Amino acid sequence: MRCILALFVTIPLFAQTTAPQPAAAPAQAPPPAATTAEAAAPTPSTEPWITGTLDLGYRFTSVGGDNDVYRSVVNLGQGPRLLGLDLMIVDPKKRLFDRLEVRANNWGGDPYNTVHLNASKQGIYDFNFDYRDIAYFNLLPSFADPLLGTGLVLDEDSSFSRRRMSDFQLDLLPGHRIIPYLDYGRDSGQGTGITTFVSDVNQYPVADRTFDKTDNYRGGVRLELNRFHATLEQGGTTLRDDQSAYDSTVNYGNNYQPYFGQTLDLSSLAQAYGIRGSSIYSKVLFTSNPFSWMDVSGQFLYSLPNTSVNYTQVDTGSLVLQEAILFYTGEQALGFAAGKQPHTTGSLGLELRPMKRLRILESWMTDRMHTSAAGLVTGMILQPLTAAQTDLTPLASLLVMNYNQEQTDVLFEVTHKLTLRGGFRYVWGNAETDAALISGPGQESSDLRQQVGLAGVNFRATQKLSANVDFEGAATDHAYFRTSLYNYQKMRARARYQLASTLALQASFSVLNNQNPTAGINYSFLSRQNSLSASWTPSKRIGILGEYTRSTLYSNINYLEPEFLTPETSLYRDNAHNASALIDLALPSYAKLAPHLAFGGSLFLSSGSRPTTYYQPLARLLLPLHKGIAWKSEYRYYGYGETFYELEGFRAHIFQTGITLGTGL
Amino acid sequence: MPRARSTRLTPYMLSNRIYILFFLICWRAGAQTPAPTPAAAPAARQYAGSETCQPCHADIYSAFQKSPHKLVDTQKRRGWETRACESCHGPGGKHAASADKADIVNPAHLAPAEADRDCLKCHLNQPTHIGRIEDSHAKNEVACTACHSIHAHGPNGSVPRKMAAINEQCASCHTAEWAEFQRPYRHRLPEGAMSCVDCHNPHGSISRASTQAFAANETGCFRCHGNLRGPFTFEHAPMRIEGCAACHEPHGSANPRMLIRAEVRYLCLECHANLPSAPGPIKNPPALGGVPPAFHDLFSPQFQNCTVCHNKIHGSYVNQELLK
Repeated sequence: MRCILALFVTIPLFAQTTAPQPAAAPAQAPPPAATTAEAAAPTPSTEPWITGTLDLGYRFTSVGGDNDVYRSVVNLGQGPRLLGLDLMIVDPKKRLFDRLEVRANNWGGDPYNTVHLNASKQGIYDFNFDYRDIAYFNLLPSFADPLLGTGLVLDEDSSFSRRRMSDFQLDLLPGHRIIPYLDYGRDSGQGTGITTFVSDVNQYPVADRTFDKTDNYRGGVRLELNRFHATLEQGGTTLRDDQSAYDSTVNYGNNYQPYFGQTLDLSSLAQAYGIRGSSIYSKVLFTSNPFSWMDVSGQFLYSLPNTSVNYTQVDTGSLVLQEAILFYTGEQALGFAAGKQPHTTGSLGLELRPMKRLRILESWMTDRMHTSAAGLVTGMILQPLTAAQTDLTPLASLLVMNYNQEQTDVLFEVTHKLTLRGGFRYVWGNAETDAALISGPGQESSDLRQQVGLAGVNFRATQKLSANVDFEGAATDHAYFRTSLYNYQKMRARARYQLASTLALQASFSVLNNQNPTAGINYSFLSRQNSLSASWTPSKRIGILGEYTRSTLYSNINYLEPEFLTPETSLYRDNAHNASALIDLALPSYAKLAPHLAFGGSLFLSSGSRPTTYYQPLARLLLPLHKGIAWKSEYRYYGYGETFYELEGFRAHIFQTGITLGTGL
Repeated sequence: MPRARSTRLTPYMLSNRIYILFFLICWRAGAQTPAPTPAAAPAARQYAGSETCQPCHADIYSAFQKSPHKLVDTQKRRGWETRACESCHGPGGKHAASADKADIVNPAHLAPAEADRDCLKCHLNQPTHIGRIEDSHAKNEVACTACHSIHAHGPNGSVPRKMAAINEQCASCHTAEWAEFQRPYRHRLPEGAMSCVDCHNPHGSISRASTQAFAANETGCFRCHGNLRGPFTFEHAPMRIEGCAACHEPHGSANPRMLIRAEVRYLCLECHANLPSAPGPIKNPPALGGVPPAFHDLFSPQFQNCTVCHNKIHGSYVNQELLK
């Protein structure tokens, strides 16, 4: 078989002729009249060197209901704001740059600030800078407060943190055949919150302070030839993650019932993690078009992240070691550990076009990750001296994941309007991990074997009507987790119809049905999403956009109630209506200035396991005052309610008003 | 399950598929006829040059001067110097003489796959297209021009760059996905702090749902959530094996923390429900994840939210039970 294959491979190679180079193709053309590019390109000299808009305003907020939930969901505050800045500067002399673009949004205290800068000089460099500062506030009493039923809210698992992401990328010689590039990115987060300190039979909510920072450095070169591209990249990261939990007051924890007649408490805690990490990674990508009927692409990716941790903990109080029913008043723990995670990924893809109407897509992929870690924790009971003891706990763990996939798709253009697609995907792999503690020490390993049939139809009846359907059906021999995709059918259909020049309709439907009939699991999952949208412009002055989505989710799975291992069924239902609309009206103009009014918003209504309502209506008014100056106002309402946790609802009225300056108003 | 085993792809079948594929390659290579050389092209296939297009298509020509594609007109190495229009529309000599639209190729009227081939003549050789073969856009024949404007450098340039504009463009087709962002707990896309392409590569990738990667081949989520990246001494296996979406609905959810279940205990117990096996290596259990110890009395509020104690649920550096 292999000899026949070799014969097949070699014979046509001799028969081949060199494909014409793209540069040669237009050589027959007569030389154009223009001789230089500059002469050919009429420079619009009347254009301003700076264009863009600047939005400044003031926001008023009025919140009723639970302010913490409002901050967890919306978190818009009051005060002056730089709502938006969008500038483009073109240097006609093209000294340092040809074009400089700056975009910034929501500065002045909003929970998400962004800025983006792009500077480029044709053929010399292309520089991009991106910065985001996003605040996360999480304080939902119903989420993780075990004592909520007693009226005691300890704000457990709450946090307030900011994440700042910045990225600098410099591409040199863009448009050339060899393009070196450099990139530096930083992701950092810091915040405070409440976490729990677990000491055997009790958990104590304690203050928590976090700080983490990841620096990412990478550099590489792109080779862009006519029929071949390769990217070679080498990078590395460094990680610093410091977390400390502390408490200096008497804390009775979640379990305030006496334990063997003694009340447990935590009177002080100092817990600190010092985590340091680094990684190197390499990336090799290539695409090639060796023949006009064949594209090849592939990649090899390798990363080796590693971390080391130093852990210390000192706590005092009235504490207990449950396994020995040993009461003590002070303990200390010291720990260190190190982990590594070599991760290799490779893929190869081919697109073959043996005939004009036939395309064959073939791809292989493998993803291999092995995590191993080791360390030691030394726990010492220090007080009272009569109970003093030292306990050494070696730490060792392993997680192996090997994933492989092979997929073939065949696309056949039956007619100019209809394309059919069929294919097959085979997924296989294995995983090995530490067994659950209750199973005792050791590892458990599992396999993955899944066969997936693929089909699709693309139909373009006219320029105005198009539809496509995707289908996947899978049979699985073995999957890793009880809720993994097993025997499933997935379908998505979408259609677009331009009913008239002013009216466009779109409908989509998707369904996922996943069944795992294994005894003890009996997983049944069904989700559907139906969506309809319309865009109607009945006149030049009115534009209407409307969307409606109905989604339903049904999930049943068996589980074991831990105390008595009683079989139970976990049910989850989520049936939601979601609608949004925006009506844009061009109001009668005055003094050649065109005011605009827009109103609409969205609503979300769900029933099932967590019935929720969320309304977000809005109205916007833009009144031009003069050429280049407009008065802009916006009103938004946020209304949130939950049936099961009525006290967590909120209603917020937000009004912002300000001036927009800029060109094109 | 005998039925499933009977359809299992064996290495023999796999190698046969590879042979068949190579046969197709070889057959096509052997059948290839030399492409017509420029000298052999009929006289009618004359190039007119971009300037010839200007008088009739002044608006497009003017917009094109500010388009990134203007490079095609000026860079010699691309082979279409002063003939950028014809690099996509084909030779325009006959059309310039007749002004008949039948005499020129209009990619907008071609089948998407055919029109895309024009774009990919130059753009295939870019790193963002490395996953094109796996891409559902390509398979569903969503043409490049569905997102990219070829001539104009209008408010959005050749493609939207502002986050709000990117989201608007994606949402115009992915309406159901955008509806998920109207739920209360979500990533901040409607607010314009993020865009769809922060997480997805619209040109395709080898990851599920065409998600982006961080540091070569790590989950793209770690680009912003670096503190959850590890590697941890004790990993939570589903996070590495199935990804963050095993527990979170990244687009949006009615459940706090974008969880896929309303109550945390059910989310955990749906996986942690396998009976303990005998000590020692366990090969192919029905699924990974053992049942919690018996002291977890679910009637006690203390045990109704597992993350109250197991607060290092994404992975722990010092504790196997993910308690600290």
